[in-house]
Amino acid sequence: MTYTSLRRINIAGGILSVLTMIGAIFWAFPLYWAIITTLKPEQDVVKPGLNLWPQTFTLEAYTHVLFTTKIGIWYTNSLITAGTVTVLVVIMSAAAGYAISQMNFPGRRVLWWMILASFMVPIPALIVNHFVLMSQFKLLNSWAGVILPQLLAPVTVMIYKQFFDSVPKEFREAAIMDGATELQLLYRLYLPMNWGITTALAIITFIGSWNAFLWPFLAATTENMMNVTVGITQVTDAFGVKYARDLASAVLAGLPVALVYLIFQRRVTQAIMLTAGIKG
Amino acid sequence: MASVELTGITKRFGAVEVIRGLDLQVADGSFCALLGPSGCGKSTLLRMIAGLETVSDGMVNIGGTDVTYEVPAKRRVAMVFQSYALYPHLTVAQNICFSLSLAGASKAVQKEKGGRVAKLLQLESLMDRRPAQLSGGQRQRVAIGRALVRDPEVFLFDEPLSNLDALLRVQMRLELAKLHSDLKTTMIYVTHDQVEAMTLADKIVVLDKGVISQQGTPLNLYNNPANRFVASFIGSPAMNFLTGQATTSGAFHITLTGGAAITLPARATSGAVEIGVRPEHVHLTSPDDPKAAFQGRISVVEQLGNTTYVYVDTQSGQMIVEADGGIQIAPGSAVGLQMDPERLHVFDATGAALPPTS
Repeated sequence: MTYTSLRRINIAGGILSVLTMIGAIFWAFPLYWAIITTLKPEQDVVKPGLNLWPQTFTLEAYTHVLFTTKIGIWYTNSLITAGTVTVLVVIMSAAAGYAISQMNFPGRRVLWWMILASFMVPIPALIVNHFVLMSQFKLLNSWAGVILPQLLAPVTVMIYKQFFDSVPKEFREAAIMDGATELQLLYRLYLPMNWGITTALAIITFIGSWNAFLWPFLAATTENMMNVTVGITQVTDAFGVKYARDLASAVLAGLPVALVYLIFQRRVTQAIMLTAGIKG
Repeated sequence: MASVELTGITKRFGAVEVIRGLDLQVADGSFCALLGPSGCGKSTLLRMIAGLETVSDGMVNIGGTDVTYEVPAKRRVAMVFQSYALYPHLTVAQNICFSLSLAGASKAVQKEKGGRVAKLLQLESLMDRRPAQLSGGQRQRVAIGRALVRDPEVFLFDEPLSNLDALLRVQMRLELAKLHSDLKTTMIYVTHDQVEAMTLADKIVVLDKGVISQQGTPLNLYNNPANRFVASFIGSPAMNFLTGQATTSGAFHITLTGGAAITLPARATSGAVEIGVRPEHVHLTSPDDPKAAFQGRISVVEQLGNTTYVYVDTQSGQMIVEADGGIQIAPGSAVGLQMDPERLHVFDATGAALPPTS
């Protein structure tokens, strides 16, 4: 490769880097704006002009949200519902994926097609049915009411089935020779062998459930049963909009998800690729 | 230890019958090799003994108990797979003790039994490694260890050495032979490699298209093949086959394709036949030797050091001759071929061996 062509590649690479950086700034600016807004006094927020750096730093917005709202209860509700949804979705999807992938029973194919078909129905289209159902079961304003409709996760069943399909059958046969039951095969062989998939799916299910808004908003109408995503809509003031407080509650609501993402970055990326149909 | 008895075993996959009414007895403590080409049904038969495959018809009896419909774990058999099937997420120790752990054995029992197996197979220093960190031979030993820890009455091996390189295969073959002589457990071993079958087994069962073609001791099969299939399958290099026409007027004369004629002890047939002779029973001689059965020209010489394989083109077809390792001979030379009449095998038109009538 000649010096000139190398230089051409360098220039092209440089331009690409600059464009990527501009894109990143566009994406990150609202986030930055939200965070610095939470650190300003409320009167500074509404001052005219573009203040990219707070003139006075204060944590008043955070202390207000933390000590005068029910954010602690909302956090607890979110943790309990998102945690339960994650555990149940993973257990049920792994079991269903295993059964469809490895076991022979009448109706297996029909069941598989039903799961595939349910994947094609958008959840918002079912929301009225869910509401009526939960209302008839008297589960509105309860954790069970928030959790149950979120357990429909055909995509995780499909991913598990795909991965269990790819496990060589000799492993199964060797374990059967060793005396493993179907449950032992699932929990001692198939799940541990696909542990990476389980953690990836658990993380993305947790993030999805933590961020869920529409269903928890409909299912929980009392402040004590609200999730953090719904609860932050309650941080209003009788004297108008308080931007710093609203954004502080949003930042606090999003913080656990951001932390989960930062800690498990690779797994989350893998899970997103999996759910998009790209094998990670 | 237990004997294995198969009675009228048939296996059908849809309309295809892969095992056809097969009867087989494997004596207690014997080492039986199921030998045959790909697709002959040997692995299917082994899997039916293991219980991994259902039996369409017939009965599987292990140690005097009918286990035809018994689940694999209750048949008191252990199996070593071709791919070893070691659980990748478990250590060597956990792999070996997996069956004990499933059965709820205490840690102390697992350690004691696992340790005993590890000592026997020299795996003690590898117990904390995972399968990915092991060589092919080590993996093989772990797979055997996993089978061994269950104290099975019958060991089943499904082509366990086929993933190893040639040198390691010889080494593992010796280890298996030693293991059998130490344990005296009944072993059934599936292979398509006749050298493995000959060296390890005290009984070889040759399968062809789902039926037993011949069974017996290795040397019996080698020296007295019941048919052309067995004769061609056992022995390396393979037996030489020449076609001809037999007449039984007085002695048993065969006129080979190409015109050469040989006379053999009397046999009860005439018409189209095939004679078979092993490479070590054909000798090179000078082309004008009156004792030479026919003449030919050398096409290829393979010198292996201890022996030399000489490929000779004759008018009756190509012959392989096993000659001395130090022989100096060049391709293109004319040679005579001398055959030991007592070592010749004759097969009729259906491929069945025709032994001398007297």
